Amino acid sequence: MGVMPATSDPVLSPAGGTAIEDRPIEESYDQSPWVTIVWDDPVNLMSYVAHVFASYFHYSKSKAHRLMMAVHTEGKAIVATGSREEMERDVTAMHEFGLWATLDKADA
Amino acid sequence: MQKFKRRGGVISTDLSADEVAMLESLLHELIELVSTDDDQSSERPDADHDADDPFASWAAELADDQPVEPPDDPVLRRLLPDAYPNDPKASAEFRRYTDRDLRRKKVADAEVALRHLADTDGGRQDLRIPLTESGSWLRVLTSLRLAVAGRLGITDSASADAINAIDDNDPRAFMVSVYDWLGFAQETLVLAL
Repeated sequence: MGVMPATSDPVLSPAGGTAIEDRPIEESYDQSPWVTIVWDDPVNLMSYVAHVFASYFHYSKSKAHRLMMAVHTEGKAIVATGSREEMERDVTAMHEFGLWATLDKADA
Repeated sequence: MQKFKRRGGVISTDLSADEVAMLESLLHELIELVSTDDDQSSERPDADHDADDPFASWAAELADDQPVEPPDDPVLRRLLPDAYPNDPKASAEFRRYTDRDLRRKKVADAEVALRHLADTDGGRQDLRIPLTESGSWLRVLTSLRLAVAGRLGITDSASADAINAIDDNDPRAFMVSVYDWLGFAQETLVLAL
């Protein structure tokens, strides 16, 4: 008859092998939260820093003002939390605005 | 200059010929400072590369794709800061992906400001900033203030206070007046939004 037995379908095993190889990569991927930190500097105006927090992060005026005051009085403030990729994007944006920003692990 | 004022979708002020000239000169200096030497040449393969040879253009692209060390100039280091202060390797890796783009954006903002300044015809017309382009002005005024502050040695609140207190005969007095002028422009621009 020339029909291949269904149990020896050769397509299935390589696909299964690929899936097994993928798993450790996903497991090693760091899912722990990161933070964007903005540091106080003697140059940037308080009004401007609050404006950046409100316009970029879409924070309310009062939250933006509170964060700006935290930067000013405590020397730094966490302004966002998220994945490492998201925080790298936020830090890049802060650098575009001329703010002194860094990222770090949330538990560091 | 007067305070920036917003009317509808335009923010405007009047600038003297000297103020326009000063801003233009600072903006050109900023563009020179943040531009990299290879900005133009790396855009397209140069004459040595065969455009039809995929390996040559691939190799040229890879040559750009290296970790980027922080700049030596403290002013540039403040304009293009380390993202990972305690991890030079991660910072260099971060720069590899962001440095070129960040520099280009700072240049683009400066070019927007130069275009608006050119429209004032040396201060004879008001400076008019469409609201949609006010972000470029906010960012570039920040860059200019950071650059001037760096040259004045303002690194913390103590040095900022010391600079504020210098006397009119001090050789830095003119630079300080420029710094204060930029602060006034920045502050009234934010308030006008």
